[in-house]
This record gives sequence, C-alpha cells and structure tokens, in this order.
Amino acid sequence: MSKGKGRKRAISAGSIIAQVAMILGAIIMVAPILWMISTSLKQPTAVLTPQPHWVPNPPTLENFAGLFTKSEEFPVVRWFINSLFISCTVTLLVLLVTSTAAYAFARLQFKGREVLFMVVVATMIIPGQVILIPVFLIVQKLGWFNTYLGLIIPGLASAFGVFLLRQFFMTIPVELEEAAYVDGAGPFTVYSRVILPVAKPALATLAIFTFIGAWNEFVWPLIITNDISMRTLPVGLMIFQGRYSLEYGTVMAAAVLCSLPMVVAFLIFQKRITEGIALTGIKG
Amino acid sequence: MKKRNSNLTAAMFLLPYGILFTVFVLIPVFYGFFVSLHKWHILSTAPQFVGLTNYRDILSDDLFRVAFLRTAYFVVMTAPLGNMLSLLLAVGLMQDFKGTPVYKVAFYMPVVMTVSVVAVMWRWLYSTEFGMLNYYLGCFAHFGHAVVPGLVSAQSAHIPWLSNPGTAMPAIALMSIWWGAGGNMLIYLAGLKAVPRELLEAAEVDGAGPLQRFWAVTWPMLRPTTLFCMVMSVISASQVFGQTYMLTGGGPYYSTLTVVLYMYQQGFGLYQLGYASAVAYVLFVAVFMFTLLQFKLLAVKR
Amino acid sequence: MAFVVCGCGRNGESTRAAGPVDVVFWNGFTGPDGTTMERIVRSFNHDHPNIRVKMQIIPWATYYDKLTLGLAYGGAPDVFILHVNRFPEYAYYNSLNCTDDLVAKGGLDANDFVQVAWKAGLWHGKRYAVPLDCHPIGLYYNVDLFKKAGIVDQNGNALPPVNLAEFLQDAKKLTKDTNGDGRPDQWGFAFTWLRTNSYTFLGQFGTGLLDKDFRRADINSSQAKKAMGLMADLVTKYKVCPSPEGQDAWMGFQTGKVAMAMEGVYMLASLEDQKGLNFAGAVCPMFGKKHAVWAGSHLMVMPRSITSEKRKAAWEFITYLSDHSIEWAKGGQVPVRKSILDSAEFKKLPVQYQFSKELPYVVYEPPVVPYNQIVPFADAAFEAVLMHVKPANDALDECARRVDKVMNRQ
Repeated sequence: MSKGKGRKRAISAGSIIAQVAMILGAIIMVAPILWMISTSLKQPTAVLTPQPHWVPNPPTLENFAGLFTKSEEFPVVRWFINSLFISCTVTLLVLLVTSTAAYAFARLQFKGREVLFMVVVATMIIPGQVILIPVFLIVQKLGWFNTYLGLIIPGLASAFGVFLLRQFFMTIPVELEEAAYVDGAGPFTVYSRVILPVAKPALATLAIFTFIGAWNEFVWPLIITNDISMRTLPVGLMIFQGRYSLEYGTVMAAAVLCSLPMVVAFLIFQKRITEGIALTGIKG
Repeated sequence: MKKRNSNLTAAMFLLPYGILFTVFVLIPVFYGFFVSLHKWHILSTAPQFVGLTNYRDILSDDLFRVAFLRTAYFVVMTAPLGNMLSLLLAVGLMQDFKGTPVYKVAFYMPVVMTVSVVAVMWRWLYSTEFGMLNYYLGCFAHFGHAVVPGLVSAQSAHIPWLSNPGTAMPAIALMSIWWGAGGNMLIYLAGLKAVPRELLEAAEVDGAGPLQRFWAVTWPMLRPTTLFCMVMSVISASQVFGQTYMLTGGGPYYSTLTVVLYMYQQGFGLYQLGYASAVAYVLFVAVFMFTLLQFKLLAVKR
Repeated sequence: MAFVVCGCGRNGESTRAAGPVDVVFWNGFTGPDGTTMERIVRSFNHDHPNIRVKMQIIPWATYYDKLTLGLAYGGAPDVFILHVNRFPEYAYYNSLNCTDDLVAKGGLDANDFVQVAWKAGLWHGKRYAVPLDCHPIGLYYNVDLFKKAGIVDQNGNALPPVNLAEFLQDAKKLTKDTNGDGRPDQWGFAFTWLRTNSYTFLGQFGTGLLDKDFRRADINSSQAKKAMGLMADLVTKYKVCPSPEGQDAWMGFQTGKVAMAMEGVYMLASLEDQKGLNFAGAVCPMFGKKHAVWAGSHLMVMPRSITSEKRKAAWEFITYLSDHSIEWAKGGQVPVRKSILDSAEFKKLPVQYQFSKELPYVVYEPPVVPYNQIVPFADAAFEAVLMHVKPANDALDECARRVDKVMNRQ
C-alpha cells in the first residue's frame, strides 16, 4: 500500500483517521517514558498526588543528586562504569570474534563448512535459560565468579553476529578479494584491508545491537555477580528499587540514568538500527 | 581463490569464536542436561546422580504445572496481540505520513530500555493509589467531568493491578506488549517494503481497494516474515522472567509464576541447580515442539 | 578440662600476622538493629586492638543468596548470622565450622543458656552455632485505648487479655466506628505478619506446619484447621480485626488505630520512635489449648573453611557478642543468657522483659533441611485462608500436599 512521494496524496477520511491514530499511538508509546522523566524531576512531596501533573512545578534535580549521596550502599556511579566498560568490551570483542568466524564461513573453503555453520545457526533457537546454569557452573570452575571476565567472556559467542556478518560478507563482490589475492595478499590481509572496510555498515549495525544488548543484560549479571560493587546498572536498578520502592522520584531518577545512554545511543544510531534489520535478510 | 592451506587458514579464523562457542554454548547444552540428572545443591560438594528423577518430579509438581499454564497464558496474550500491533504500526509507517521518522523513533524507543527500567516504570504506572493508569481509567469513567478540568476531580479507578491475582498477569502482558511491539515492527516494515510495487499497482488497477490489496497481495507475501516473527515472539515470550521477577515475584498467589521464574527460584533461591536445570530442559522441549507445530501450521504452502 | 575430639576445628598452622586480624562479619540487620549492632562492634574493636571486625549489612531479602554463593564460590565472611530455621540447610551441606572444641575450652557456659536456643545450634549432636538471641512475638497493646475502654485492673493500669475469652471481650470493646460511616475505624486487633501469628495459633492448638517428628505436613490436620478457622473468625465472625488484605496493620498500631497486635520484640524500635503512642508489651494470650508463641533466633556461625587464626579471633567476637547481649537486647531483642535475663538491667527493659516470659514455651518453625522450600507454601496458605483467596480447607490441603512432596524427596 505504499504510495510514491511523487504522487498526489488523496486526502481521504481514512488517511486522516490513520494519521490521528499514528499520533495517538506515538503519544501512548512514549507517554510512560515521559511520565518516568517527569516524576524524576519532581520534588519528593510533589510525586504522590491524586491527579498526575505532567510538568514538574518546580522541576528539581535533587532526585538525581540524591543518587550519588546514597553511593556507599548503592554505588550508582560504579554500576554505570561497570556497564559502560562491559558493554564496550563486549562489543569490541564480539566484532572481532564474529567477523573472523563469519569471514571463514563466507569466503574460506574448508571441510565441514556448511555443517558447522548450521550448528551455529541452530543454537540461535536454544533458549538462553537452558545453558544458564551450566555456563554458571563452568564460569565458577574457571574462577571467574564475581569478576569482569565472568561478565564479559561468556556472552561473546554470538551466533546472531556470525549469521548477520556472514550474510553480509557473501554479498561483497568476489572481484574485490580476487584483486587483492592477485596482488599477493594473504587471507588475513584480505580480511582486514578489503572485507572489513566494505562491511562497515554491517559491522556498525552489529556493534550497536551488541552494545545495547550487552547494556540491557539482566539475568546473567544477576547471577554471576555477588558483590554490590560488581553489579551492572540494570541489576543495580533492581536492587535500588527494592530499597527505595516507595520513593518514586528517586527510583525514576535511577531508571532515567540507566536508560539515558541507550536512548542517546538509539537516537544517534537509529538509522543503523532501523535499517540494520534489512541486512539480516530475515524477512525472507 | 587461495585453496592452499585453506583448512589451516580457516581454523585460525575460526579459532577465537570456535573456542568461545564450544566452551560457552556447545558444551553447556550437554553439561546442563548432565546437571539435570543430579540432585545438585549449590553448597553440595558431591552432587548425587538420580537419573530422570528430577524430570519425574517436575511432571508431577503442581507448581510447575501452574508455572507452565501461566506462561502459556502469557504467550497467548502477548504473541498474537503483540504481532498484530507491530504489523499495524509497520503498516502505519509505510504510509509515509509527514512525521514518520518521529513515529518510528517513538514506537521503537521502548525496545532499547532494559527490563528493570521497564518494570520500574510500569510499577509506578500501575500504582493503585497514585498510578497514572488508574487515574486515566477513572477519568474515562467520569468522562464528562474530566473534559472540563477543575469541575470535579476525577477519581482514580483504584484497581490493584499488581496485587490482584486476576489482573496481575494481564498487567504484565500489557507492559510486555508495549515493550516489544517496536522490535517486530521493524521486521514487518522490512517485509512490507519487500512487497513488489508492481503487484500492488496491478491490483489497484484491477479495482481492488486498500484492504483488498492488503489481503490479496501483501498478506500472502508477508507469510515468511509473519512466521518468523510469530515463532520468535513465542520463543521469547515463553522465556519471560525479568518482568515477573521484578514486578510481582510470581505472586500474588502464584498468578504470575512463569517457568523461567520458577527455574530461577529453584536454582538460585532454593539452590537446587539439578532440579532447575531439568526445568529448563522441559521448557526447551515444550517450546521446540510448539515451534515445529507453528511451522507446520503457518509455513508457506506453495 | 576434657578436650572433646569431634573431628572438627582447624588443624592448619597459623602464622602470626603483623597487624590486627580482620574478621569479616555479615548480617542482615538493617535499620535500628544495624545501628545497635554497629555500636557493639565498635566497642568490641575498641576493647580488642588486635582484632578488627568489619561488619557488612546485607538486607535479608538478598542476604542468603549472597551468603550461599559466597560460601560455595568464594568470598564468604568469617562470622555470619543464620536464622534458626535456615541453620539445618547449611549444617547439612557441611558449610559450617564445628565449635565443640571452642566451647569445651571455656568462654561460654552451656548451662547459662536458655536450652531451646542453645540446642538449636546443634546438628547431629555437634555444635555449629551459638545463639545470639531469641525473638518471640508478643502482645503489643495501646495503653491509652485500653484505659479509655475501661479495660483496667484494680490500680487503673491497662489489663491485657490472657486467654481467648478475655481477648474477644477486650477486642470487641476496642473495635469502634467513631465516625458513623458503618465501618470500624478503630480495631481491637489486627494481623501483622501472617506467618508469625499463624504459627502461634497453630502451636497453641498443638500442631504446626510439620508433625512432631518433622516428617510430614500437619497443617491440614483438624487442629490446624481449627486454629486457622479461629483466626479467620476474628475477621469475619467476631469482627474485631480487619481483613489483612492491603492493610498496613503495624502502621495502624503505630497510629493508634489498632489496639492490639502480635509482633516481634524486634519491632520495638519502630514504636519507640512513634511520638504520642502509649504502648506496652505482654505475653500473647492463649487462644488455644496450650501456651505457645512463634519465635525466631539469630545464630552466630563461622564457615567451615575459616583459617585457624581467624577462627580464634572470630570466636572472641562471638563470645563477646553473647556476653554483651544486654546491649543487643536494648535495641529490641531477648537475650538467651540466663544470667542476663535475671539481671536488673534487663528487667528494666519493659517490653523485652515481658516478652522474655514466653521463653519457656517458644516454638521455632520446623528446623528441617528443606525449610526454605516449604515455607513459601505455608505463607501462601496463610494468605489464602485469611484473605479468602481460597476456601480454607482447600488452601491447607494444597499446602500439605506440596509440603509432603518436598519432604518425601529428601
């Protein structure tokens, strides 16, 4: 039902209803988020009112400031740094690890290539919960319980990443590589000098998806960390809420702090995200 | 293409991922099953092999049955409705109205939030006394008065969303639909964009209205996308954990107990890793069989 | 002095450390309890320059998870608190340090301990824990409301009820509809924590969650159904108690809207802060056939793998805590040292002293290894019965079924 930009848009009743619906829909979708932000900027006494006031009057940053004064019991800054460090590291390593594997699957000939790839793809439908406990035990045996290694390493074997990149690599014209090989380049040079630069869009898409996924991880950090200082922001938020459950202003401030980086990242990279789906070729 | 040493080269390229995959994905799949065959308390230094006893206990455990049914209820409430909403939103985006980029951002925004943010946000929305949802529902009931603010202040509907066994799960389902609609929306959008314009124009020429065009042309071409989205939605919904863990803890009175939450409680609340592992495998088998069923029912018939 | 050989205690060589020995102490004492314990720890550190106790307070909700993972995978503390009903699980899985040799060497006189609490630290005849306190629930009552209703003794002092008949009589007098809207706004009684109240009623009817051998569920026995039925009747039949659903009963007592409540001695601090509340404590009335009240206890334990050097220091700290449990009692606890219970200083603590009279008949929840697995079933059943989520008999039968399933798996 797409209409080209060049055609004159018939202004029909249906079209108007649809546009109104879209606006309403967008408002409803965003309303909870706005309400969260609004509450976080309200003075504590102004939060629990029978009638909701959308605009804080007067707005205040004391809830946010309060997050830092509670930092002995709830090290919010440390949680933030943990999440940032882990998400960045995971993203970098995932790119590295999946791109090399994807290149092998896409361009290198070796025995059992198709079968191995099928195995990797097949694991995408295994629910994460199935391997939660065994990975937990393995990580403990490695001595990585309650450490950054335990938070970072287990999640690196992203089948989705390998799948995505392999699909993309296969669309790269073979001539580019052949030219490089003719020039005497080895496979690793071809990979790094030819494939990677061309694959920037796919890599960027994978990077942003991985970053957001790593930041938002909840279950794994929940069970693999034990010290309050090792928690990530999502888990920390849950702990924080457990203690301050009725101080909605403070809790909303913590929630805003937790989601701000993701929202900012999303707004900056939204094109990558929304168009990245097409790269996966999932639709077909 | 160089074929010399290609196996060795390939091995080098595959090594980092291969090691990680083997240690943290492949081995755990089998190790987890191994664990499920034991009575394995976190503190026990010598877990006891018990064969399939855990599985037998699960199948006769009425709490597991409750969790299974509640999870099925959740899946049925969120997967079809959620997908319909996602498709609707995608169709709306396809219209290319003015402001579509803003709509796209608005619809997708919830997806980038982590589960604890969503839970915290909606817990506040669902508050019985001061929640925004109850307020606007109350407004609805006092429609006339609410239109003129200040005339009579509308009363909150006072529905105890999260503490009433009848409303707790629907409340979590609504929140989950809100949270996930944007994700599938993008996939449907990609699918809609892939529908050849010529077919649609041909149908229009044949006199088909927009709805007819949708049913005759778009919907059948969307089948693979729909199948993919439904399957992924069901798999994802069957694993619901964070929402129930944070908002209700499985209550009130087990009305929001889901299988993964039950598994977490058994494994990390009661420290029974063997039993919890078995729960995970039972869920896996159930979801797998249901996925096969979905393929049979929804797969493209040519 | 006989040195009891029990195959426990560390044999490792201890190296003389240069500075003070660090003892990491974990507990869940948030709020005023934490402040009290902090004071005691500070005074210990001051009196013992060669030992430095570092206390970490972890809210009870996450305490046991953190503790278990720490014990299993590293990072366990040197001294920690266990509730008496969680103790069997940790003892069973061999996570605790046997202290028979330390007790035998002196430092703690077994005869000075209240026996029910002292025995609770035993597992298969060996000692793994030392009780710090016993915290029963007791009857808190609002003195002003009692006087206003004329429930006084010959000296004009408020007279709390001691049995069911007096309780009902008093509660009826104390349940009033003062603003004429058809619903009482002052209640004679209210249920606070359903678990402790229910276990008290069950105990007084001679039953409990499990039978006397702690093997099978007894919560659906006829006596149990009578006990739970009486509790429900307080709400529906005698109408002296509001439905527990959505009620903050304790806040009701704090604000003078509820005249009587059965709560733990540990809630004392929250009442002392309440300005204008004239309250007192008494033993719980006997609603059933015999005297019984729910009680909990905090046990002090060390992990099995503690080094011998830290063990010495930790034991000093444990004995200090016990010897100075009058300080702990002041914060709202009942000590389990007879010498302290008999002391004038303790008798000056009004509520604690009254509640301590219940020590001869306190009832712990079943000390079984799978306690943690069965207690949610009991809680759910209590909730179901008193909030009318399910018919009482169904809820209790269901609970018994689930409990038996777990007990049979042991």
